[in-house]
Amino acid sequence: MALDGIAVATPSVPNYGIDNDRLLARDSVLDALRRRWDGRYAVDEFGGDPHLQDFLLAPVVGRIPLRVEGGERLPRDGAALLVANRGPGFAEPLVLSGAVQREAGRRLRIVGLPTPPLLGVLTHKLGGVGRRAGDVAAVLRAGHLAAAPLAMTLSATGAGEAPRAVIAATLGFALLPVAVRPGGPVGLPVRPWVVSVGEPLAPPEGTEPGDPLAAAELAEQARTAIADMLRR
Amino acid sequence: MRVLVTGMGGHLGTKVAQLLETRDDVEAVAGFDFVPPRRRLSRSVFKRIDPRDRDRLIDFVRDFAPTAVAHFGVYEPAARMGVRASIEASEDCTVNALGAAVRAGALDRVVVRSGLEVYGRGAGRPEVPDEHAPLGPTSPYGRICLDVEAHAAGLARRHGIPVASLRFAPISGSRSPSPFGRLLRLPAVPVPALADPPFQLLHTDDAARAMVEALLRGADGAFNVVGPGAASPWQAVRLGNRIPVPFFGPGWLIATRIAELAGSPVPLHVLDLIRKGCAADGSRAEAELGLTDLVPTQEVVADLYAWASVTALPGAATAATARVVG
Repeated sequence: MALDGIAVATPSVPNYGIDNDRLLARDSVLDALRRRWDGRYAVDEFGGDPHLQDFLLAPVVGRIPLRVEGGERLPRDGAALLVANRGPGFAEPLVLSGAVQREAGRRLRIVGLPTPPLLGVLTHKLGGVGRRAGDVAAVLRAGHLAAAPLAMTLSATGAGEAPRAVIAATLGFALLPVAVRPGGPVGLPVRPWVVSVGEPLAPPEGTEPGDPLAAAELAEQARTAIADMLRR
Repeated sequence: MRVLVTGMGGHLGTKVAQLLETRDDVEAVAGFDFVPPRRRLSRSVFKRIDPRDRDRLIDFVRDFAPTAVAHFGVYEPAARMGVRASIEASEDCTVNALGAAVRAGALDRVVVRSGLEVYGRGAGRPEVPDEHAPLGPTSPYGRICLDVEAHAAGLARRHGIPVASLRFAPISGSRSPSPFGRLLRLPAVPVPALADPPFQLLHTDDAARAMVEALLRGADGAFNVVGPGAASPWQAVRLGNRIPVPFFGPGWLIATRIAELAGSPVPLHVLDLIRKGCAADGSRAEAELGLTDLVPTQEVVADLYAWASVTALPGAATAATARVVG
């Protein structure tokens, strides 16, 4: 599904879809500047600024060349945790944001982006959230779609350790393993990126929230699923 | 239910008394404070007692023999008194009122006012804490709230009484005095130069409603109560058509001094709020106290700026008509 094919909603009240992360129609540059100057834009408790995300980030990630497999598994509403591989740099989170935007018409909260002074303000406004497990759980309880990375690997097709603490804190929410890989040979981004969304994973029936053993098993399942998709 | 409202003279205490008066299942409402109630009360009994006057306070509470306590005797520094007076008044009010209520023998539930300040702000702390997050206040008001919670929790342990701690986001409203509200209404407002952290507020009426719901449901444990959404310093200042003046580092010492000279003292918890933000996960209160339609934070900010348009009625019409027996 292309970006142009998404039915974007028109905001009736200036809350900019905080409640469901739904991508909204963009203001013109003049209207956007006027809105910023007047302070008439939404902010959420995680520091996210949906107006800025739709105005600055959406056009950029919407232009990343990519192909999505299993995009129908991305939820159109409600909370879910995407666990994806990550190499050095920021390419994978941006590509993943682009895939979610195209397939589900939603914004994505990225877990664990760096937060140095000034840059940290911008990453939070554009959807970054802290790496603390409790904060990620709060993001999901608020109904957002969040992406947590596996441990970083130097190889563009490697699958590092899964974020166990985050998975433990978010047991009960849908967990989707996602593989992000450059489409070109030997990991070169000369062809469109490929984003593969795996089958949703769930802990065994009757698992208590925060169960560390169940979280460890789920983390291993997620890592294995991502590694399998990366090898295809 | 016989409800004792400590701190009944404040906007919150008065509002809670008004809400309780409308309920048939509330047999009697009584309260005390060092200032008289701010609004009209019909069947509440109010006694003007300084919370530090231990003997009078204990006699009043013992004679009333409450079955429930709505504890608003938690005084925010720079709202109506200085830091030291706030600490003393909050501690004395909590220890004396709750102790006397227990000794009266009929108490079966307690709800205390607390604040998100109990979590503290800064490096190493959760950005949006839930009720299980570690407590580590970084301001005198946070420590006041934590002490109140600790006293109440001790009471719950010893006597097996359910005690709810309502950790309110900073409470604001066009008619309620708050140091943060005063700061935002200055013509030029200090804001962080290198940050724009989100903060949440809670409308005065919603804080009162949360207290009543917690009382009626016999709630137990801690609850974060926050207005949905958030605002940020730069945005809030522009919403009010004020001038944002960026500061960083030691410049905040100058900013707070200037604000104080302009009539808006800035206690540490308000400085923390504007420099580091203040937010929390309020989903437990939504689910268990039924607080699903709270006023959004940005509307609370807008309400703050509506202050100037509030027209005060003549004194005689606004005088509280509560039966003052002290």
